[in-house]
Amino acid sequence: MLRYLVRRILTMIPTLLVISALVFVIIQLPPGDYLESHIAELQSQGEAVDEKKIQFLREQYGLDKPMLQQYWYWLIGMVQGDFGYSFEYDLPVSEVVGDRLFLTVIISIATILFTWMIAFPIGIYSATHQYSWGDYGLSTLGFLGLATPNFLLALVMLYLANVYFGTSIGGLMDAEYIDAPWSMDKLLSILEHLWIPVIVIGTSGTAGMIRRLRANLLDELQKQYVTTGRAKGLPPGKLLRKYPLRIALNFFVADIGNLLPTVISGAEIVAVVMSLPTTGPILLAALQSQDMYLAGSFLMFLATLTVVGVLVSDIALALLDPRIRLGGTASK
Amino acid sequence: MRSLLPQLMVLLALLVSTAAGATAQLLETPSLQARVDSGELPPIEQRLPSTPMQVHLQGEHRPGQHGGQLRLLMGKQKDIRQMVIYGYARLVGYTPELELQADILQSYDVVDDRIFTLHLRKGHRWSDGHPFTSEDFRYYWEDIASNPELSKSGPPRPLLVDGEPPRVEYPDAYTVRYSWDSPNPYFLTALAGASPLYIYKPAHYLRQFHPRYQDATVLQQMIEQEGKRNWMGVHVNRDRPYKATNPDLPTLQPWVNTTTPPSERFIFERNPYYHRIDQNGRQLPYIDSVALSIVSSGLVPAKTGAGESDLQARYLRMDNYTFLKTTAKRNDFDVRLWQTAKGAHLALYPNLNTNDPVYRKLLRNLDFRHALSLAIHRHEINQVVYFRLVQESNNTVLAESPLYKPKYQSDWIEYDLEHANRLLDELGLSERDDRGVRLLPDGRPLEIVVQTAGESTEQTDVLELIRDSWMAAGIKLYSVPSTREVFRNRIFSGDAMMSIWSGLENAMATAENSPMELAPTSKYQYQWPQWGAFYESGGHSGEEPDMPAARELVELMDQWSHAETHQQREQVWHRMLEINREQMFTIGIVNHVPHPVVVSQFLNNVPDSGFYDISPGAYFGIYKPDTFWFDEIRR
Repeated sequence: MLRYLVRRILTMIPTLLVISALVFVIIQLPPGDYLESHIAELQSQGEAVDEKKIQFLREQYGLDKPMLQQYWYWLIGMVQGDFGYSFEYDLPVSEVVGDRLFLTVIISIATILFTWMIAFPIGIYSATHQYSWGDYGLSTLGFLGLATPNFLLALVMLYLANVYFGTSIGGLMDAEYIDAPWSMDKLLSILEHLWIPVIVIGTSGTAGMIRRLRANLLDELQKQYVTTGRAKGLPPGKLLRKYPLRIALNFFVADIGNLLPTVISGAEIVAVVMSLPTTGPILLAALQSQDMYLAGSFLMFLATLTVVGVLVSDIALALLDPRIRLGGTASK
Repeated sequence: MRSLLPQLMVLLALLVSTAAGATAQLLETPSLQARVDSGELPPIEQRLPSTPMQVHLQGEHRPGQHGGQLRLLMGKQKDIRQMVIYGYARLVGYTPELELQADILQSYDVVDDRIFTLHLRKGHRWSDGHPFTSEDFRYYWEDIASNPELSKSGPPRPLLVDGEPPRVEYPDAYTVRYSWDSPNPYFLTALAGASPLYIYKPAHYLRQFHPRYQDATVLQQMIEQEGKRNWMGVHVNRDRPYKATNPDLPTLQPWVNTTTPPSERFIFERNPYYHRIDQNGRQLPYIDSVALSIVSSGLVPAKTGAGESDLQARYLRMDNYTFLKTTAKRNDFDVRLWQTAKGAHLALYPNLNTNDPVYRKLLRNLDFRHALSLAIHRHEINQVVYFRLVQESNNTVLAESPLYKPKYQSDWIEYDLEHANRLLDELGLSERDDRGVRLLPDGRPLEIVVQTAGESTEQTDVLELIRDSWMAAGIKLYSVPSTREVFRNRIFSGDAMMSIWSGLENAMATAENSPMELAPTSKYQYQWPQWGAFYESGGHSGEEPDMPAARELVELMDQWSHAETHQQREQVWHRMLEINREQMFTIGIVNHVPHPVVVSQFLNNVPDSGFYDISPGAYFGIYKPDTFWFDEIRR
């Protein structure tokens, strides 16, 4: 196990290096650089562009240096904990992202809890009552949730909440609480706004999770040990919880790898539509304006979390289910 | 508006006479009273310059009361610079009638357009209370513009005449003189711009970041602390009066940023040392603070409709108008339609520098450009896309400009397929393929690809209509959307043969505004990017214009720069407009497109109609937002 762990951690290093190179190249692929998209933006709004100042900024930002050198500085900086400088915000990347991380985590955790709370009971019910009216009805609902475009649902709910409850449109709190110190009122305002993004982001996830839980559980419920248990007179609830449900949860543990990065990034599109103060919109805007260090460092952060998350879920799976082996060689 | 001009002149005359007359008792601002009582701020008499700028409000514009918070919505953090635009306190600024007037300056004298003497207001102070004097001008000129490290390639262009810098003198603490050997028509307009040329900087604040005044070790410490490459990075980062990102930077604007980025909400508080007062002795601005909420730009119309903004035009579009109208009553706001001041809301730009030699020859042919224009059914576009609310027009100055002539606007814009077909036939393009598309001399079908920046469906809607009518003239149109950067690069490299974009930025121009946009002077002019680059780089890159009309435009541009009288400039302008009319270098489609402006019902002094444009006008700037005030209920 220890050897396995060490090996996995060591292979993470070249993986991340390759990812960093890929990220950097892809961000640089579109023509031009940050300053050119900046000029284009200024001009489209009819503002004056001072070419001399642009030249000055190009030197200050190091955009006149060859690409390899830019990459190298970025990489070395990241190893030392310096994530580079955001041109768009004129601030170090860590300061830009830092503030928003907390609210992103709140939304994400609330969404995940919401997803679980809805998906688990429904999934179990659907599997144990297969082909019943309840199963069909809930599955239909689930598919609806899966099929509805998130952004559309978001807009509709924002409008309804505004008209019927007077909730301000978009954002995560009323304007006067932004940057205000934490207080009971601020918390209430957040709660008032939080439920819309949670439901919107949650619906599609919920539907997916219901389907997966139902399928996995159905596989197990057909197995002979379940029949045996039932024949021996185990109470149905205990039987379900003790054996098939636990095995059906493998997919859920395997999902942790994907969960970690989602907690940090939030749902980008929904966040943009709903104007949530999370990290998603920053990432999108950074990619659009070619604010390369902000976008790059953020993507690297997500990549690292994915790699770590996959490792964590692999280990957890191995611990939970003795049938899962650590490597192909053990199967002899 | 043109017919209003005489009345406005009378108003102006009245304004001047009253300003010289009564000096009302100065009134303390209620929200500052506590700070004055505690001794933190000096009383009003000591905060104002000895001769403040008196704004005389009359007619529809009534003098008001202090108080309240103005809520605005912005789409990006960078948009907080809009406050510097809306605030529009400039050394000299435009009036709503687009005349230049001393604003921060008490007065200015001009000799032959060469020698500019600027007189500051005695006792004028920065927003932190430090006196504003000629030292601040000296700091800019000697320590910023002439500093070889901060300004590597020399002072900004409007300060150079034939490449020569000005002589700058400071006869006393309240006088600054800029002089050149030849006229500099760019100087005053640059000072009055929406994004102005700052020739003054708060020296007392910025000195601490400048190696001439600061100890090298202290400076080195700052550089390391902020992770900059050198001291210029530190200095430039503090010194961004236009971006308004540094709350510590003293300013002369009506409202001062108090929020350090990053944030989702920026609060601008009133500048207690602001130099304008109303006729009742109240210091402006009336409104105590401005709150800018940063939200997704797509949500701005919805939030505005929900009554979450008191004054909104940015990020609203004509197609939001009906939605806003329906929610206006419930949420207590008015929706007004202002005008935009662009020469054309949309215009086609034939790329005269396109790579394909056959198309280049064709696009440079005047008859061909005329045929293209005649085959556009502008009236249909007006009806289908713009509810018949816009003006069908060439890309030229608007009727509100003193330079306007009807023929500039209306020549060659009628829909006349027969004429277009005849012109095309005469060009030897009479062969057609089985689709009815004309064939080029080399046998290829005449297919014109129009590049769009892919930002709005409106452009593609209009192109769709043009496609139909061009087809009737035997021209096949394809539109290719891309992103803004790709769009520009394709045009510049010559890959694009035609593009669609908005027309003249400043179509309300007077003869005193630079006619640059009419001549090949910038590589961002999509009809002749290479010629523009040639001019811009002084011949180092790009191509020399090889069409006589374009060459003449460059010469005229030069004449305008060296003209000594208003009349000469006016002549040059008309000649340039005339050439552009004759040659139809750009094919304008419509202009005078209205822009919805949402105004809270409790907000006073916002004009019912006006121009919403950055240049000239600074959006709300020339209408003096510091004179807007709230009713009792919102104070």
